[in-house]
Amino acid sequence: MIIGEFTNYHLLPCPKPLCSFHRLFAMNAIKRYFRPEQIRELSLVVLIVLIVLLFSTQIEGYLSGRTFNRIATSVAIIAVVAVGQTLVVLTRNIDLSVGSIVGFTAYVVGTQIASHNDMLPLLAVLMAIGLGAALGLINGLLVAYGRVPAIITTLGSLAIYRAILVESSGAKSVITNTLPTWLIELPQQNLFSIGAINIRPMVALALLIVVIFQLVLVYLPFGRRLYAIGSNPEAARVAGLPAQRIVASAYVLCGALAGLAGFMFLARFGNITVVAAQGLELQVVAAVVVGGVNIFGGSGTMVGALLGAVMIDTLEQSLIRWLQISEFWRDALLGLLILLAVASDAVILNRLRALWARSELTVRTEDKIDQASV
Amino acid sequence: METTQKPPILEMRHIAKRFDTTHALDDVALALYPGEIHALLGENGAGKSTLIKIMTGIYQPDQGEILLDGKPIRIRNSVEAQAHGIAAIYQEPMIFPDLTVAENIFISHRNRGSLLNWGKLYHDADAILAQLDVKLDVRMPARGLTLGAQQIVEIAKAISLRVRVLIMDEPTAALSAHEVRQLFKLTATLRSQGVAILFISHRMEEVFEIADRVTVFRDGKLISSKPRQEVTTESAIRDMVGRQMDEFFAKSQVERGDLLIAVRQLHKENVFTNLNFDVHRGEVLGFAGLVGARRTDVGLALFGVEPADSGDIQLQGKTVKIRAPEQALKLGIAYVTEDRRQLGLTMPMSIATNISLPMLREYLTALGLIKREAEAATAEQYRQRLSIRAASVQAEVGKLSGGNQQKTMLSKWLNTRPQLLILDEPTRGIDVGAKAEVHHIINDLAAQGLGIILISSDLPEVLAMSDRILVMREGRQMGTFSRAEANQEKILTAMMGQERE
Repeated sequence: MIIGEFTNYHLLPCPKPLCSFHRLFAMNAIKRYFRPEQIRELSLVVLIVLIVLLFSTQIEGYLSGRTFNRIATSVAIIAVVAVGQTLVVLTRNIDLSVGSIVGFTAYVVGTQIASHNDMLPLLAVLMAIGLGAALGLINGLLVAYGRVPAIITTLGSLAIYRAILVESSGAKSVITNTLPTWLIELPQQNLFSIGAINIRPMVALALLIVVIFQLVLVYLPFGRRLYAIGSNPEAARVAGLPAQRIVASAYVLCGALAGLAGFMFLARFGNITVVAAQGLELQVVAAVVVGGVNIFGGSGTMVGALLGAVMIDTLEQSLIRWLQISEFWRDALLGLLILLAVASDAVILNRLRALWARSELTVRTEDKIDQASV
Repeated sequence: METTQKPPILEMRHIAKRFDTTHALDDVALALYPGEIHALLGENGAGKSTLIKIMTGIYQPDQGEILLDGKPIRIRNSVEAQAHGIAAIYQEPMIFPDLTVAENIFISHRNRGSLLNWGKLYHDADAILAQLDVKLDVRMPARGLTLGAQQIVEIAKAISLRVRVLIMDEPTAALSAHEVRQLFKLTATLRSQGVAILFISHRMEEVFEIADRVTVFRDGKLISSKPRQEVTTESAIRDMVGRQMDEFFAKSQVERGDLLIAVRQLHKENVFTNLNFDVHRGEVLGFAGLVGARRTDVGLALFGVEPADSGDIQLQGKTVKIRAPEQALKLGIAYVTEDRRQLGLTMPMSIATNISLPMLREYLTALGLIKREAEAATAEQYRQRLSIRAASVQAEVGKLSGGNQQKTMLSKWLNTRPQLLILDEPTRGIDVGAKAEVHHIINDLAAQGLGIILISSDLPEVLAMSDRILVMREGRQMGTFSRAEANQEKILTAMMGQERE
């Protein structure tokens, strides 16, 4: 009803600057073009800009290509894992084993390349992805077909994958100077530059993956089914969706992406010990949740997860430089961010949705049904 | 009617389904014709839900055959049901709140190409809604749609799957009167398009308004199936009732004691309204009603779990405001839930620990340690008094039979020394012997001067055990009947919302 009147009256001059009528109209314009989730993503962008501006006044030479490159390389790895994690979280599950999968693949692929320096780069990448996918498949089968709760399954595999790595490695590490030069130089290479900012292959790869999986979410039936299963599992069953297969696939993809991230991790650090990427799951879950992916499934985007990764990593890296805070405080900060994000999700996003639903949907639909019945 | 001359789309013959020892369905038959609205009536537990679950592939029948266009078929899961053109909508719509209206409509489609064409998706969704003569913004997320609009999305989903048989399981139970009108208009549109509709409702007036044929189930059996013109409200109700009452123990007359609780104008927004009742000591007040009558909500309100919004509650002459269960406990009110498994008992723990739980403070030493002997002693008392059959009070509750679980739950709340005991479906899912024992216990408790509210969907039980019966329907009090004036048909008529003559 309200909408109908607006379309008739909003062009009339407003007697006072923004009377309640036109204020409401402005509100409706916002509502028409943005969903609550997008508002949340926009506010993340604003927040990131504010954080950067804040640190630029505190740290000398902060706004530089070097800062960007350091953060971007670090974000790239988290973002790739976060994309996989998002696939899983959308289905109302979680994968806590991603840190172990990254460490596992980085180490195994590292030892293989170290002993076969002539291995084709593509083969090394495929090996990392395949290894990750296999580890993800184990998680997926247990969660989807074995009906073991996701948090238990992946907490178990987090420990098991890491334990296998520690046991089988004999406490040896991968050392940079045993690796071929192409791998060592990979992180420093420059695809192209925008001013002082260098776009590195790993950063470009991460962006590409975010874009591809964002498109998967929007344009493939698989993507929509991920949302459906997380949104209402019971309805998914009644609608005849192959829920088990989809959940298992999400875990396989999550594992494969973690495997790819393991390769990136190897390239970035060169020296890989058995505790490599330990605790990465905390950063990844933080990125996903801060990025607005609902921990109870059903909503969230890859772009959001990327923004979440950028935000937490920027904050982390900058705080380390600014206060030289210890790694332990960094974890506390991550924990705090997760809590804040989930709490704000519960309060703010629900309130936004209610606002959207109230004036836009209910009124309009009921109104139109009324007309239809006349 | 001309349409009934056509052969049925779906026919079910000699369908039987057992769960353990109970016959959920016993040799029932049903034929659904194109362009016909077929109403299915029956009390709770008559077998309607089981039949729907068989038609949608969730259950497999033990016996009988299902014919689609005269050819026998098997429906093994919901995908196959969809493929046969059978769809169901429920009281609670099965929508995906995070997806858009259009996505919801097409969620079950498998052959819309490997790449989503959003423009076409919206366009097709609009087209389906236009076919139904409904306008909804298909781009908005389904979250926030009214229940009525959600039902419409469900129907659109069924249409998109080329539905030929649409099962509507109490679709109107949660809708406003206006939304019901919308839904009926839609249903009529579907009928004119040749869809066979199975319509289940507890609202008699709705059934008589839209149905072409009325079938009644009782205790898993087909009782009658007639064209609407040959059915009256009275005959339908008579078919729905008609159970023997002799297995029931009747409450013995107890001297009615002082007024224990007086409730006036109890109201909770969108749940119940304007409830007025008294309970005296030694009296059992029965609460009768169908699913969705909101009887449990009254129990939860009196116990403070979901407090009422407004109204006056006087307990022994003093006005009280009940805001939380702890407070209700202090006032001497106890509520024995209908959901033993989820809300009533901690299954892996022992009888003794379950019984002491609400009153744990009384079983603590000065140092705050639990006095296990005292706990066991109390439990032992109840075990003997209520004859709970278990090896000892340390037995795990989850391993007991339903009847013994029920008695454990009763013990737990009796141990809070209540004055007013609210029993919600105290005999659901327990065997006949245990049922009679629970009835004896209720009788004894009333004789000891407790006031009892008995919420039960088992109509003969309510009639046998209550001194007075309050009938609710969709949150409203339809009437209160004394023991002398109450009978099955009167109560059922009130439950269905028919005016008394």
